[in-house]
Amino acid sequence: MAESKGRPGSAGQRPTGGDKAVATQKKQYFRRKKVCRFCVEKIDDINYKDVRLLSSFIAERGKIVPRRISGVCAPHQRRLNDAIKKARNIALLPFAASI
Amino acid sequence: MRIYEELFIAKPDAPDEEVDQFIEQMKSVVTTAGGTVDKVDKWGKRRLAYRVDKYREGAYVLFQFTSAPETVKEFERRLRVTDLVIKFLTVRIDETLKRLEKRKKDRDKRAHRKATAAPAPAQPSVAQQMLGEPAPAE
Repeated sequence: MAESKGRPGSAGQRPTGGDKAVATQKKQYFRRKKVCRFCVEKIDDINYKDVRLLSSFIAERGKIVPRRISGVCAPHQRRLNDAIKKARNIALLPFAASI
Repeated sequence: MRIYEELFIAKPDAPDEEVDQFIEQMKSVVTTAGGTVDKVDKWGKRRLAYRVDKYREGAYVLFQFTSAPETVKEFERRLRVTDLVIKFLTVRIDETLKRLEKRKKDRDKRAHRKATAAPAPAQPSVAQQMLGEPAPAE
């Protein structure tokens, strides 16, 4: 008796879950959710001397990448801005890079 | 007393001894004013991101010192006067350091709390699942 009750129940639950998954995948546009790199990697200190870290947040021409593109959260973007501007001031990063 | 960080760029064609001599001079400026030099770091020659006074590279020197705010004024005046230095940047870092320390402490505390709190509720639930699942199947 225990066997017959257990099987139908588990079989019935699975297909419904599968249908739901298919429905969500059918959405036309699928955008990956952006996450703040500083929050995820737990980087507390955004230092102006860390050129390698900062240069991943500047575009080809030397512009600061907006957070709608990079996905950085507002508090971290603020600190990132300060750091990049300091680095520019001491010639670690360019104000306007030539390609 | 505040903690400052001073990053300056010396001319790349200046001889090494001259730079060292200048660093010693700057150290004495801080110490005579009642401050302490915490760290001096010579990065060596680096390429500049843009041209400064017709130079394409420069010798970076990082100073870290604790002093009163008036000392920085004198320090900067000296940097401006010498021909050896082509660019400098002063940053006050004591508040940043304090903030970082606090963040680190909070993070450690949270991790500690998680480590002590998590095993107690987590293990029974896992054990229940392990016990609960095989039972109907068998």
